[in-house]
Formats: sequence, structure tokens, C-alpha cells
Amino acid sequence: MKLNESKRSSGWCRFLKFSKQIVGGTTLLSALCLAPSAVLAGGHGLPKDAAPADQQVLRVPCDNTRNEVTFDFAVAVYQRYACIADLFQDTLVDLDKDFNVIPAAAESWSVDASGKVWTFKLSKGLQWSDGTPLTAADYEATFRYSADPSSAWDFTWFYSFIGAGGIKNWSKVVAGEMPTSALGIRAVDDLTLEVETEGVFPPLPGVMKFAFLLSKKALEAHGPYYNNDPDTSVSAGPYVLTEFDPGNRIVVEANPNYKGYRPARLQRIEGIYMSPATFFTAFQQGEVDTVPYEYLTPADFKIIESDPTLKENYLRHFGDFRTDYLLFDTYTAPFNDLNVRKAFAYALDRDAIVKNVYGEIKAMPAHSMLMPGYPASDTKGELTQYQTFDCPKAKKHLADAGYPDGKGFPDQEMWLRGEGPAMSAVYQASAASIAQCLNIQIEVSNKDGKVYMDALNAKPTQLTLGAVSYGMDFLDPANLLGIWVSSGRHSWTNEKFDSMVAEASNLVGDDKKREQMFRDAQKILVDDVGGVFIAHRWQGDLFKPYVQGDSFRVPDSNGISGKHWGNDWYWGNVYITNAK
Amino acid sequence: MMILLAVSIIVFSLMHSVPGGPFDERKGRLPPAAKANILKKYGLDQPVWKQYINYMSHAVRFDFGIPYQRPHTTVAKLISKSWAITVQVGLTTIVVAFGFGILAGIYAAYHQNSWVDTLVTFVSSLGVTVPNFVVAMWLILIFAVSLNWLPMGGWGSSGQCLIDKYFCTDWILPVVAYAIAPMAIVARYTRASIVEVMGEDYVRTARAKGLSEVKVMRKHVLRNAQIPMVTALGTEIPNLITGSIFIESTFRINGLGKYFVTSTLNRDYPMIMATFLLVAFLWGILYLLTDIAYTMIDPRVRLGAKSLS
Repeated sequence: MKLNESKRSSGWCRFLKFSKQIVGGTTLLSALCLAPSAVLAGGHGLPKDAAPADQQVLRVPCDNTRNEVTFDFAVAVYQRYACIADLFQDTLVDLDKDFNVIPAAAESWSVDASGKVWTFKLSKGLQWSDGTPLTAADYEATFRYSADPSSAWDFTWFYSFIGAGGIKNWSKVVAGEMPTSALGIRAVDDLTLEVETEGVFPPLPGVMKFAFLLSKKALEAHGPYYNNDPDTSVSAGPYVLTEFDPGNRIVVEANPNYKGYRPARLQRIEGIYMSPATFFTAFQQGEVDTVPYEYLTPADFKIIESDPTLKENYLRHFGDFRTDYLLFDTYTAPFNDLNVRKAFAYALDRDAIVKNVYGEIKAMPAHSMLMPGYPASDTKGELTQYQTFDCPKAKKHLADAGYPDGKGFPDQEMWLRGEGPAMSAVYQASAASIAQCLNIQIEVSNKDGKVYMDALNAKPTQLTLGAVSYGMDFLDPANLLGIWVSSGRHSWTNEKFDSMVAEASNLVGDDKKREQMFRDAQKILVDDVGGVFIAHRWQGDLFKPYVQGDSFRVPDSNGISGKHWGNDWYWGNVYITNAK
Repeated sequence: MMILLAVSIIVFSLMHSVPGGPFDERKGRLPPAAKANILKKYGLDQPVWKQYINYMSHAVRFDFGIPYQRPHTTVAKLISKSWAITVQVGLTTIVVAFGFGILAGIYAAYHQNSWVDTLVTFVSSLGVTVPNFVVAMWLILIFAVSLNWLPMGGWGSSGQCLIDKYFCTDWILPVVAYAIAPMAIVARYTRASIVEVMGEDYVRTARAKGLSEVKVMRKHVLRNAQIPMVTALGTEIPNLITGSIFIESTFRINGLGKYFVTSTLNRDYPMIMATFLLVAFLWGILYLLTDIAYTMIDPRVRLGAKSLS
């Protein structure tokens, strides 16, 4: 009903605006047009420098080339309406700027003596935008929906991948061997949710960052895509859907019935679909207020760096601690020879690639998998010696492998996963650096994403040499090192590495020992050259100066500001100043 | 019908021979049960020939299935919504491209080797060689960013329109960017056809008989120059009314053009089939119309048909 009223108001307002153009403005008409601002739901805790509540409008660009089908994480993670996602519900936990787990929908949590059963207590009074109380049953229904094989959820792999941290019976339910009711997610009462894991897994609360929920009532009444229509959409998050024209425009407005931890300061967020090539132009034109880093070209960065205002408002941060790297099929020749892999690791001139291809604002050279700043990362540079540019050393390793001066080394084809121009250039430069140093031939082939993943995931793999990136799913070394264990997607095995990662992942009560084990495991990875690490990406966002909020303007404990990964409280904190 | 059948078989076979499917395994493999289930959900667990028969038996009733990219609608609804916009863009572009192209071609032909002819030839070459997305970005940078005269995107959303939501200021840049290449082709073909006809004996004879230049032009030159123009230019029309991903994407037009690319990238089989069948249908219709146009322009075509019968 509220939505319909809102729609009528805006239609009426448009009519008045039109009338004003024809007959000239009147005070009465203006007053009528402003009437809706009296019932604005946003504007919570606006600072003194904020623009009036009815002007709290943030305009964000949306990529019109993406394949998007849903707003909801629990329906399809990789096909969400990315520019305006995860605003219709609160997860159980959120992260602060230092990536510490903080309460969100859950006000507290605890684990039992076995270390496997976690109890999350929901905050009291949470509700959906239609007035229905939000209960633990909504979370239970959401997890059951996602685990149901008929849902074919694209994130299903995750709860199997985290091993001991996987939700109990997850893999069996997903395989259709058990009913969804057997899942280790239980609504004990309206405010108590139990999560039982397969084994002991200390980082479990952080994993519940992904516990975005669906409304059980709406799911049963309208199916999983209920949020794709303003008439059936319900929200337990700070915003509600008011306008939805996929590929053209999405508008959400502050949820008047929101009772959660991040009430909106903004009145409205407008998602405007456009070509990625025009994001920066639209920003310059004043049509949008932010641009994420991945849509800024090297030419755009030149403009940003030469303009003090733009430079000050480009806020660089860790993002999802993404690392770009080369991978091999180490089970077959020539990459089954460690000397060949070491030759590649030493032949890559990371510094030159970062300086000349990425640009130093976008990346730092990588000598290992974990970006400095990530737990258990190599902040002291102790691993640099294993993977650094040293061409004579690289040539020696190749000669030791039986290919002196590259003679007899088979021509290689390096596959890319449907990369855009910027990352293609990085991988082209990487291939060129290695080929030039080792006097070998590497042809770069940019494949369709699905063709690439089919080849990578095949057992045995059909991908001899490839380039790819990976960013964290949760802030624990078990995540970014876990993808390198032999059951993961890479064709590289090291038993010691496997056992170390497995043991460290499940270790409770000795954080120092756990971290050291991960450090040791990473040393094995770089020394045995499971992959050749190119660069860690600095991510960031360009903001208009009038877009403010402590969540991204105030630096974290490392002195890094910017919209940090997983900081969902940003959406309740961002506001527009009266400088606009 | 035979063309549509052939196209459907070829496209169906090709799209099923490419790896991947309507599932995402970018970060990790889907568990086999989940993958099997999604294949079953979309009927992809059946042999390809069965899938084809199943698809076509529905397609003949205009039921093209559910697009994987928009699971809350149908292919037919999605196409009818997005194509309506694309057709607007296409038809406006045709009017502009053919209108200006023909005028420029005629003018250049009548002023052979003049500076106007050189200019038309140069602009035509430029129009053909510079991709429309480059032209689009130039236009945006000049007219939207630097001069701030026109909106940089949208279709009918600028609020400054001649009629309701039609003929708006945000139509100008996309139509110009989209029209430049076909306009160049039209101008070149028109010029070439007219120059060729102007050198014919019957034109010289008409002039010798004392006919006015306007009459020579209307009765002898233009009429006879139409056949090669229709042959060459007719084929531009289906391209224009099925949209361009570059133009639509760059100018924020929510049309059909992008689905030709995204449906392939996303292995959206129902959408791939529907879009290709649409294009094949339009091409078929257009060739039919071209043949009919021949008989109207040149009576000999009709007479030939009679004598054969």
C-alpha cells in the first residue's frame, strides 16, 4: 500500500511539475508536490552538514552488460543485481572496518562445548516491510531453499568447500541424499537460530556474513523471485523496492518499517543502467555519484590522478584481497617439473607490470597468495625470495629442467577467463615477460568464461597454463589457502600443504599457532610454485565530494579508508551533504 | 519455412556443442546432484534431438520458453518489450540513414569530382571504417560532456520530446551514431548507381531529345538506379531493426540488441534460438519484399516471370 501511495505521489508530482512548466509555478502546487517529504522514511541520524532529508538521493551506475536475475544472495550469488544488492535483508553478522565480526540481525552468538553447534540470538522486534515479524524460521527456510537440489544454487559449493565449517549434512542434502529438514540449521524459537557444522570451525561467525535471508512467507506465496516485482517484494533491510525496470533503472527507498541495525540516512537510491564504458563519463556529467574501480580505465585514472578533487575522492582499499596469478597443470609435462615452474616464477617482472600496466594505484606486486593485510599474510616480505623477478635464475632453472635457453620447450597457450581489456593487458604483459626472459613461445588466448571454467574444473584438467584471479569469501586464511588444497580447483598437490591447511583450519584455542601454520603452508605454496603470483589488487571507489559517511571516509586501523568489503553498515551510514 | 527450419537446426546444434550451460561454476564446481537437477529443470538432461523437437513444437505456437537471464518472464514477453524499443531506434535510424544517404549520393553523383563529391566520399569511407561505438563515444564526449547540449543516454527519458515520449532529445545521439555507417553505405551505393546510369546511352538520348534535367533525373536516372540500390540497401534494414549491442549499451537503451551477445555468453538457449529465428524470419521477409520491389521498379522482371509460367 505504501508503495502504491508513493507511486501515486510521484506521478502526481510529475503532473504538477509539467503544469508548472505550462502555467508557471505556484506556491500551492509546490507545497502539494513536497507533501511526500513529510512521510520520508530515510534521514536517520543525519549529521549537521547533511542535505535535507528529501534530497538524500544516491545515484549509482549499474552495468548493463551483466547477467542479473535476482536481488537475493540466497537465490543466485553471481547473478545478483550487483549495483543494488543485499539491501532487502540483514545478514546475521556484519564486519567493521578492520574486518572484525560485529552483530547485525543477530545481537549475539555462542558455541557449545563440542565447538560444532553455534547459537545465534536475533535482535528483538525485527520485521518485514509488510509488518510480518522476522523470525529464525525465515533463516531456516532460506538455508533449506538454498540447499534444495531443485534450487541449483550457484553458491552451493561454498558450504562443501569449507570442510569442517560446512553446515551439517549440507553436501548430502544438496546431493539429494537427505531431506532439507536434515540440514544443520534449526530455528529453536522465534529469536534463536542454531547452526551445526560438520566439524570444529572457529571462523564460522564470519561465514554467517553470507546469511542473507528470504522471507519464508513471500517465498511460499510467490516463489524465489518475489523481490523482482515491487508488488510482491518485501524487505527486512533498510530499503524497499519501488521501481524495477531491469536493464534500465532500479529505485529503492528507505524502508519505513525497518527495525534493524543500519537505518537509512538516504531517502532513495537510484540504480541507472549504462555501458561500463560510460560510467566515468556519467560521473563527470554528474549523472551518478560513485564509480567502482573496476570500471575505471587507465585513461580515467590519469584524469583522476591529475585532478586534486577527484584524487582526494578516489578511496583505495583492500577490497576482497584479490590476487591475480598464473596456474598450471602440474600433473603433466612440462609443468610437472618444479624447475620449469620456478623458471616461470622468476621470469615474471611483477614490478614493471604493476607500474606500467596496472598502474600503482590499482595493484601491488604479489609474491604469494595472501595480500599483505590479510590474516597470516607475509607482511615482512619473507616469501619474496621465492617468487621475484630474477631472469638469470629463471634461465638456470629452465636449463636444469632440460631446456637450455628455452630450446625444446613446447609452445604454450595461456588461457584467460573472458577478461576485459585491462586485465587482458596484464596477462599479455605477464606472458610477454616470461617468454622474453626464457626465450620461449606463449600465446595468450582469451576464452569464453564458461569454456575456461569447464576446462579448469575438468578432472583431469584440460587447462595446461592459465591466468585467473581469486578474492576472499571470508576473512580467514582457510579460505584463500583452502582453494589450493588438492581437492580444490587447481591441479597442484602437496600433501604437507594439504595437511597443514586442514589442521590449521580446525585448530581452536591457539590463534598464534594457527596463524603460523597458515604462514608455513603459504611458504610451501610459493616455494613449490603451485601458482605464479602476479599482483594483489588495490580496489576502490570514486565518490562525489558530497557523498559522505564515516563508514568509508574515516580510515581503518591500517590507515586505509574506502568502502571495505563486507561492510554492509555502509548503506545505513552514507549520506549526501548540503555541498551538492 | 525451410530457411527457418535450417537455421533452427544449425543454431541448436552449434549452441549445444559449446561447453558450459545455464549454471555458474566460476568459483567452484556445482555438486553433481545440483548440476543434474538444473539440467533436468531446463530439460537439458534429454538427448539433443529430443530437446530440439520439444523446443520447436512449442516454438511453432510462439512459446519460446523462459529466458535463463530473466527467469521471471518469458522469451516472447522479453522480446516483445525490448524489441519494441529497438524497432523505434532502427526505424528512426533507417529514415535518417536512407534520407541523408540518398540525398548525399544523388548530390555527389550530379557533382562528380567536385569538392562536395570528395567530401561525401571521404565521410562515407570514414562512416564505414570507424566503428559505431567509437563514433558513439566521440558524440557523447563532444555533445554531452563538453558542450552539454544533449543527454548522454536514455531513450525517451529526457523529458524533452516532440510527442509524448517520442522524438526526444535523447534520441539524437544514438540515432546519429547508429546511422552514420549505413548512411555512408547508402550514399556510396546511390552515387555509384546513379553515376553508372548517367553514363548510359538512353540518358544521353533523353537529354538530346531536349528533356529537362529534372525529367531526365526522375524518369530515367533514378528509376533505373533503383534496382542495384534496393539489392544492396535492403539488406541493411534487418540489421538496423534488430539492434546493436554497442549503440544500445553505450546510450543506455534497454533494447534487444544486447541479447544477441549476452544470451550466447550466458548459454541462454531459449533466447539464442528466439533471437536467431527472429533474424532469419526478418531476412526471409526482407528478401521477399526485395523481390516484390523489383517487379514494381522494373517491368521486365514481371514480364520474365510471366513468360516462364
